[in-house]
Amino acid sequence: MTNLRKPGFVLGLIVIALAIVASLAPQLLATHDPFESVATDRLLPPSAQYLFGTDNLGRDLYSRVIYGAALSLLSASLAVVVGVVVGAVVGLISGFVGGRTDFIIMRFVDVLIAVPGVLLALIVVASLGFGPVSLALGVGLGAAGSFARVMRSQVLRIRSEEYVEAARTLGVRSPAILVQHVLPNAARPVIAMAALEMGTAILSVSALTFLGFGAPPPAPEWGALVSAGRDYVATNPGLSIIPGAVILVVVLAVNRVARAIGGDE
Amino acid sequence: MTQVKAWAGYLLPKLGQFLFVVVATYTLVFVLVHFLPGDPLIAALAAKGGASTVIDPAELDALRVQYGLDGTLWQQYFGHLIAAARGDLGVSISTGVPVTEMIARAFPFSVQIASLALLFGVTSAVLITFLAYAAPWPWLRQLLLQIPPFGIAVPAFLSGLLLISVFAFTLGWLPSAGARSFDAAILPAITLALPVGALFFQVFSSAVLEAQNSPYVFTAVAKGVPPRRIFTKHLLRNALLPSITILGLLIGYLAGGTAVVETVFSRDGIGRMTVNAVLARDINVIQGVVLLVGAIYALVNLLVDVAYGFIDPRTRIGGGVPSRARLGAKK
Repeated sequence: MTNLRKPGFVLGLIVIALAIVASLAPQLLATHDPFESVATDRLLPPSAQYLFGTDNLGRDLYSRVIYGAALSLLSASLAVVVGVVVGAVVGLISGFVGGRTDFIIMRFVDVLIAVPGVLLALIVVASLGFGPVSLALGVGLGAAGSFARVMRSQVLRIRSEEYVEAARTLGVRSPAILVQHVLPNAARPVIAMAALEMGTAILSVSALTFLGFGAPPPAPEWGALVSAGRDYVATNPGLSIIPGAVILVVVLAVNRVARAIGGDE
Repeated sequence: MTQVKAWAGYLLPKLGQFLFVVVATYTLVFVLVHFLPGDPLIAALAAKGGASTVIDPAELDALRVQYGLDGTLWQQYFGHLIAAARGDLGVSISTGVPVTEMIARAFPFSVQIASLALLFGVTSAVLITFLAYAAPWPWLRQLLLQIPPFGIAVPAFLSGLLLISVFAFTLGWLPSAGARSFDAAILPAITLALPVGALFFQVFSSAVLEAQNSPYVFTAVAKGVPPRRIFTKHLLRNALLPSITILGLLIGYLAGGTAVVETVFSRDGIGRMTVNAVLARDINVIQGVVLLVGAIYALVNLLVDVAYGFIDPRTRIGGGVPSRARLGAKK
């Protein structure tokens, strides 16, 4: 593992590990109750007691950011899973069946890629209603097109490999070939791409929660925290800029590690 | 005569592609809206009047007709498609105003910041590439090449709020909100330019790298042409050409980005209109906006293709002249 000697990569891993701990066991990292407001401690600057300061209701911003990781990162992960699964299935079928079916499916995939992901997500959110799950579905659908394209190109490459020819000559049925030979060999580039997509998904999900399409107010989603702090940007810029910076750091870390996974170094 | 034929053979498929993308975008949105669970009209009415809104069935039917949500799916699909081709995108459920009118009102504001953002983004991407190319020390080059990936990772609301906090509130140089003056467009345009410039940089810098390894640059270096001249005379011209093909993609990015940027800067425009439409579950407006963006994307791609055919004859496949066909086949 030559990657472990690179400081950027190691730093990225540490940030990701912290983010995972924060989403699974926030009580280990948080210093306060994220929902408890102390009326006398409103809009305080960062200090030893309140690491990121307090918001307009006297809640500890640091603890709210920690507790917000679960919602924000889980919907981003769900979005990537939706994108990979939908994209992989479509790409697999399209590439394996070929012919006219392939042509028609891929033209729709082109359109799915052409329409900006945010707009696709907005259609889904407007139809299904607000909340972390419909956000994830929308963002995932926006990403599915690129996954379908990569999957299809992998399938086309593998379909003409000798071991697939051999299996077919031996009389193995198509679904079995698909699962046993094509899928495992096509997985690697798709996984590398899924890792890269994670950073984009975190950004999209936080943008949509910033716009107010996530879980309802007391929930400390990252985008919603930035949005709530907006009203105080003139007097307490930290209130929205600190959660925003946390998002940036996590996305940079995820992208850095994803690039290493993809072997892009 | 052969010239005309060659051009027709080049342009007609492109035109067909343009029409296909527009119709397919419309179809995709239609399928999403009608096959996801939930009734769009009831959702919109509930968003307007509260969750407990009770509507009498006869009234609901009348409203369905008013907003074009009546009839079978096929009737709706073709009816709206034909109406859209004539420029009629239906009526907004939340405001009652025709969607085309709403778009026409908001569009200029978004075009203003989007075109400025494109200008800022492309200029700074070219500038950073040039500085990295001319950097005398490797560390400076590495540092410059680290800037664009940062531009992709930074959330637009963070860069926007930072700019507001520094340039509007601390320094007081530029307004923090509104869309009345030209000054008010600068900060939103910079915010929007970050991801767009970063995206352009990725394509442009790799095109420069490719051109850098070409024989003509080797010759120029051997002749002793100064680096700045090599960059402007050889690299810039040869690398910009392939880079304009991603213009359509950048337009898509700009359209998606306006939703956040216009909200951060409290500016009128397509993005903010879309956000308000989603909050009101106003599906007619969202459909109209997505169709508009799809059409602009397809139009830009069509223009890029045609411009490319003019600039680089090799891409015009199927011309009558054999040498041209041979060159085209290489692509």
